Parts: sequence; structure tokens; C-alpha cells
Amino acid sequence: MKRFSKLLALVFVMALIAAACGSSSDDTTTTTAASGGAETTTTVAATTTTSGGAETTTTAAAGSDFPGLMVEAACDDETNKSHINYIKAVDANTVEIQLCTQDVAFPAKVAFSAFGIVPQEYLDANTGGGDLVDKPIGTGPYKLTQWDKGNQIVMEVNPDYWGEAPNADTLVFKWSSEAAQRYLELQAGTVDGIDNPGRDDFALIADSPDLQLKERAGTNIFYLGLNRDKEPFGDEKVRQAIGYALDRQRIIDNFYPPGSKVADQFMPDSIFGYTPEPKWYDQDIEKAKALLAEAGFADGFEVTLNYRDVVRSYLPSPATVGQDIQAQLAEIGVKVTIEVMESGAFLDASDAGDLTMYMLGWGADYPDATNFLDFHFGKNASDQFGAGFEDIWALLDEGASTPDPAARLVIYEQATQLLKDHVPMVPVAHGGSGVGYLGDVEGAHASPLGNEYFAVMDPGGRDTFVWMQNAEPIGLYCADETDGESLRGCEQIVEQLLAYEIGGTDVIASLAETWDVSDDGTLWTFHLRSGVVFHDGSTFDANDVVASYDAQWDMNSPNHTGRDGNFTYWDALFGFKNNTG
Amino acid sequence: MSDDLYDPSDRPLEPTDDQPLDTVEASDAIRDKVRMDLAGGDVGAVTSGGLWRTAGREVLRKKSAIVGMALLSILLLLAVFAPIIAPYPPNKVLFDEGVSPRDPPCVHLFGCDEDKPQHILGIDGNGRDYFSRIVYGARVSLLAAFVAVLFAVVWGTMVGLVAGFFGGWVDNVLMRVMDVLLSFPSLLLAIVVVTVLGPGLINAILAIAIVTIPQYARIVRSSVLSIREQEYVSADQALGVTRWRLLAHRIFPNTLTPLIVIATLGVATAVLEIASLSFLGLGIQPPTAEWGSMLAAERNQVFTAPHLVFFAGLMIMWTVLGFNLLGDGLRDAIDPRLGR
Repeated sequence: MKRFSKLLALVFVMALIAAACGSSSDDTTTTTAASGGAETTTTVAATTTTSGGAETTTTAAAGSDFPGLMVEAACDDETNKSHINYIKAVDANTVEIQLCTQDVAFPAKVAFSAFGIVPQEYLDANTGGGDLVDKPIGTGPYKLTQWDKGNQIVMEVNPDYWGEAPNADTLVFKWSSEAAQRYLELQAGTVDGIDNPGRDDFALIADSPDLQLKERAGTNIFYLGLNRDKEPFGDEKVRQAIGYALDRQRIIDNFYPPGSKVADQFMPDSIFGYTPEPKWYDQDIEKAKALLAEAGFADGFEVTLNYRDVVRSYLPSPATVGQDIQAQLAEIGVKVTIEVMESGAFLDASDAGDLTMYMLGWGADYPDATNFLDFHFGKNASDQFGAGFEDIWALLDEGASTPDPAARLVIYEQATQLLKDHVPMVPVAHGGSGVGYLGDVEGAHASPLGNEYFAVMDPGGRDTFVWMQNAEPIGLYCADETDGESLRGCEQIVEQLLAYEIGGTDVIASLAETWDVSDDGTLWTFHLRSGVVFHDGSTFDANDVVASYDAQWDMNSPNHTGRDGNFTYWDALFGFKNNTG
Repeated sequence: MSDDLYDPSDRPLEPTDDQPLDTVEASDAIRDKVRMDLAGGDVGAVTSGGLWRTAGREVLRKKSAIVGMALLSILLLLAVFAPIIAPYPPNKVLFDEGVSPRDPPCVHLFGCDEDKPQHILGIDGNGRDYFSRIVYGARVSLLAAFVAVLFAVVWGTMVGLVAGFFGGWVDNVLMRVMDVLLSFPSLLLAIVVVTVLGPGLINAILAIAIVTIPQYARIVRSSVLSIREQEYVSADQALGVTRWRLLAHRIFPNTLTPLIVIATLGVATAVLEIASLSFLGLGIQPPTAEWGSMLAAERNQVFTAPHLVFFAGLMIMWTVLGFNLLGDGLRDAIDPRLGR
């Protein structure tokens, strides 16, 4: 009997080993097969390097031995759902980007932190993911020393930085979702700056002689998202009913800090594309009930409200606002169940269109209507509101390719009217927010875009600047992040071709010293700064730009990996190549 | 408690499988004899009625137990008469009545401006009367804690009785499962259970009940192990009493004493755990008034609106203290090894 049991155990173990080997060999086969089919690149010149299936053409410019990369996709190709025709490294210090249609906001988009330049070799070595997310390498004033997950991020000064050297040798990022704790740490002097003081702490910081408060204008929007793919929001009348039901003024008056405004539309008034009309519906409970009755929900319905319990400028107190919306919707018979989600899971679920009704917001990344409207309601927007609205798509495409500002405004006014009719969301608030600093911090500022730049701050002569924000960055490969807390981290380490002025929204030079555009407004040429080196010692050149962009652009690129592979910003602003989905 | 005494008239007259007809009369006769011999003797099992009366007197002699009972009586009154005591419905938003979020307490008697509406514990972050929510919160906390403990006691007792009485592999299997449950920190395990089941009142109760089952199972099992060896049990066994009858009428009543003490203390723990789960957002969901979630909602305002954190915390402390004092008093009163 004993011998039999031993035999049985042996057979079992061998079966396990056999199963393990079997499945791993299966995996290998699948991988090979999956990386097999991609070619949309047109050959231009000399050599063609093939890595894992996606083709990148290397071209040697005349009179130089620089093997410049070029990636392209035909504009009329149906798999090229992007506005870009090609990206080309003309020589080591020149990059050309040919657009399919004119895009007046192009420099403002290029300056955005999701489009940072990383070394080509590092991208390839990590196939566009892996260490890029946890150990970013860039050209910025600070380089990452250590990311102690769940605790803090430590960065040290980049000795080879091409620009002005940072004041503090070390930059530490900490985080706490508790406004009270952030305030307490600032008051105790253990941190030099905090993001988003609590509503009631504004006055305390402003009045304290040891602290300083920098107010951030409300260049953001807090909205209640309604997904038309989820019942009962498939019916426009139901969505309009929600639009009529909310008393938004009550929410601002009671839960927002000074400097906040009721949102009359999706666009904040400080961003180009805002038009004074049309205004949102005035609250009308009877009208809301009538609309619900017409839609067949005279007795209301049950729905889940999702949110993440994370403080943002646009939403300083999620829990109380959530409960107030719950109480307000109860007035028209809508029974709301609140479900709080973890931040990352919440964003992924809303992007994927899995949520029915949710509280989300948006802070300006670059100062143009396309950042607000196209990102959310354009053709390439995520599925957060379900299937989009084709009439809005058409208007937004037109708006993005119209150079005349006055004509653009007319288009955006129409788009805003359509948003009011379709109600994919209810705009609620433009939240005022602030940043608190110790009194002796020089160069302290608050950026309307939320990208405070710590290299220019001097923490009273101390060699470490400690910053405390609301949450830990989700990842530091910002091509694949949308979260403001992550973007701010990336902005200290990685740079783009262009940048925004410190504490403002104007586009300025960064890795590109100058840039120009052809007369038809479609061919952009960037002249890169020379002598710039990455944190790993490699030299920055035009191929790094092409490789960084191509990893995001080309869905078939082996480097199109990221953290979760969404590349939400690129998709929304430029569109993917080889997008067969 | 006279039910506990074996009454020969309960005996089925029909022969049973394990007792052929001819032995029944004989065993009855013997049992009567045994009973007479035992009468007046000091055997815990058969004098439990007396024990309870003594225990009751002892409890009333303990000051701490009386304080505990007083605290709990007030709570119970609050919970039962919440609709009468609370001036507003707990979820009613009062922004239309001239309040703003986190208004401090306003009692006209203590010099608060007569023009302002009176809210004796102030207003919470969502513009609701805080006193009303505290009062209604008593209902949720007490009910949830009682149900959780009841559930755990029932299941724990069953597991303990079966494991202790039957022994052998049944005991081994059941108690190892209980050991596995015990090897996790209870709150952590409760969080896991709620994460799997999803947040909500019922699931939170279930989670807390499940993690406390082993506690009761072990207490009951150890009582059973010692009671099983008592002479009166052996006597019954010798007389051919069925196992189930032995379990239900001899052994179970004698495990109640420690069980009641542990269960009373267990309610205190359950109140805390319900509040903890709600504090973490895993228990009772908004807008239901519950002390733990009320505390969580306002924790950031501890400097600017301390009353909103203070009173919810005070109520949790009040309840836990009440049950702990009562539990300690009961233990002192019931446990024959202490102080008597």
C-alpha cells in the first residue's frame, strides 16, 4: 500500500511537470504567431530593419552618415486612423512630421507630457514596457534614484542637464490621499509643498506667516458621466432628465473651495474654444420627471454611481459630492448605489466603457479645445460615454483643422450645443484649487495645467525639496498614463520636444530649439537641441524622437506595450496607425 | 432549566434500534435509582437552574456590570426609539433650511443664536443633522453586531459540539479548518471575505460572523471534552441514552455558561469590526448612517470640524465599553473559579 502511494505521488509529480512543459511550449508558439503580421510601412531608402514584425525604414540622408529612421502610414489607408502621414529623422538634429490635415493645436499637443522622448535603445531593450514604467530614463533636470513603491519616489539632480541646473539636489515625491495629513505635514515643515489643500485649509494656509498659498485657476471640469451603451442611458431622454435634475450650484456652494465655478459647459472659460453660449439646463425637477416618464421610467430606476476616492482639483471631496448627487437624484426617483473603486481600476473601467454612471473630471493638459472636446467626444475618444456621437465627431474634426480662430469658435459653439442635446455627461464644476508651500520656498508657483516644475524652486537653501501630492503615480512611462499624479512625476524626469512656460500655458522650446511649419500647415519641422544626453549617458538625437513616437503611434510595433497598452493620449490626439480594431 | 433534567416520561415507549424493548424498562428503573442517589448532590449539570439564579444575583452585585448594563440600556433605547428621538430623518439634506456643511453644534439653551436652526451635534459634511444620524447609527451597529454574533455562535456551537463529542477524524478535520481560519488576523480575513462577496451590510455581517466562528467552536469543543468525561454523562451512556439526546440535553446546556460570556464580549468586538469595515468603505454603504463610515467621511476635517469625528468615535467607544463591562461582570459571576 505504501509503495503504491509512493508510485501514485511520482506519477502525479511527473504529470505536473509534463503539463508545465506543455503549456510553456504552447506559449512560445502563440507569441511567435502573434508577432508575425504587420507591414504598412512604405520603403523609402537604404536598409530596412525588421524587429519582431513591424517595419521601420532607416534612411541615410544625403551628405551625412546618420541613419535616420522614418515611419509612415498612408493617410487614406483605413488602418491609419491618425492625422499623421509620416515622422522622419531628416538628420541627427531635425525631425519632420507630416500631418494628413492641418492641426492648429499641434505644437500645444507636442508639448504635452505624454509625448516625452526616451532613448531608442531603452525602448527596444524593454520592448516598450517593463522598466520604462518603473525606471524611466529621460533628459530632464532630475533623474530617478529610487521608487519605493507605496512610500516615496526619490530623484536626484541630473549633472548633465542642458538647461539651468535645479536648485535642490534631491527631489522627493510623497503622497497622501488625506488632505488633513498633507496640511499637517506642511505645517510641521516635513514637506516643502503640498498639492490640493482641503477646502477648509485654504484660509489657514493663506493666513499663516510661515506658509504660502498659490491658487490654481479652475482650468478643469468635473462631470457626471453617463454611458449611452448602458441601460437606461441608451435613451437620450433619460440622460437629459439627469441633466435637468442636478442642482449644481448647491454642489459648488457646499463642497468646493473658493475660486470654483458652476460649469455651464464642458470647456472652462480660460481655455480657447469656450463660448459664453449655450448655457447648461437650469435645474427643473418637474421637467426631469416628465422626461423620465416619457422614457418609460415614471417610477425612476436603480443605477450604480462609481467614483474613486481620490482628491483632484476638479473634485476636492469625492465622497460628499457623491452622496449629494445620490440624494439629489433620489428626488426624481433614481435610486443610486454608490460604489467606490480603486483609482487605477476606476480609470481603466471608465475608459473601457464598463461604467454606467460615474464621477470623473479633466484638468487641462494643453490650452486648447481639442484637449477637452476631442479627447472626450472625438472620433478617437475612449469608450467612457459608450458609442460616440457622429455629429459631434464631424464638428470636432472640422474645428481641429480650421486655422481661423473666429471660425473655430463658431464650430465649438455648435459642438457645445450638441453636447447639451445629447448629454453624454452633466458638466458640474470648474474646481478652484491651490498649492501650499513653506513660506521660504522661492520660485513657488501653481501651474494652471497642474505641472508644477520643481527644478526652478529653491526650498529655502535646503538641498532636498519634498513634494506631497494626492496619490502615488501609477506608472512613470507617461505615454501610457492619463493620471495627473503620474504626469507630474514624469515631467521632472522626461522632456518633450516642446514645453509649456513655467506656471503658464504658452508653448516654449524644450528638446527642440526651434520649429516651423509649411504654408499649408501640415508639415512641421523640429530643429533639435544638440549635445543633450539622456540619464543613461546616451546621446539624444532625432531617431530617439521617431522611436518614441512610433512606439505610441503604431499598434503593430513591438514597442507598443506600455503599462496597459492603452496609450490613451496618443490615440485621442493623433490616432493610431495599424488600427484594425 | 428543569428541561435539562432527564424526565423518564420523555422516553419513547416504542423500542428503538439501539435499545431493544427488553432493556428499556430495566434501564428506566436503574436511572430512577441513579437520580435519587444524585439528588441533593453537587453536580453542576443537574443544578444549572440554580446556577443561573446565582449568576443573576452575582451580576447585579458587580458595579462594572451594572454600569455596562446602563450604558447598553441607553443605547438600546436610542436604537428602538430612533424615529421618535431623532429630530430629522437621518438622510435628509438640510441645505434648504439654512445650514451649511459641517456647522458646529447649535443649542439655543447654551447661547447659540436663536435665529439659527437648532442642531445639538451640528451638521455633517453633506448637510444632514448629525444627532439624527448618530441615533440611527445605533440601530445599524447594534443590529449588525448582534446578528453577526448570533450567526457565529450558532455555527461555532454546532462545529464545537460535533467535533468535541465525536472526536476522531471528525474532530481533526473540523478543528484544522478552524485553525486555518484562526491563523489569519480577523480583520484582514473579514476584509478578504468582503472583497470576495462585495461591500454591503449583509456581507459585512457575514464576514465578521465567519471570522469569529472558530472562537466559539473552540470554546464549545473544550467544554464538551471535559463534560463528556463527567460521571453523569458516563451514567447516561451506561444507561443507553442515545447520543443525540445526550448531546442536546446533557452536554449542550453545560457549554452555555462560557459561551454567553464570550458572546457578550464578542458583540463588543463585532461592533468594532463592523465600524472598521465601514471606515474602510467595505461595510455599510452610503447614505446609511453608521458610526464607522461617518467617522471615515469626516476624518479629514478633524481640525476644522472636530465634533463630527468626536461623537461618532464616542458612540463606538460607548458601545464597546458597555459590552466589555457587562461581559466581564458576567464572567466573574458565572465562573465558579473566580471569587467564589
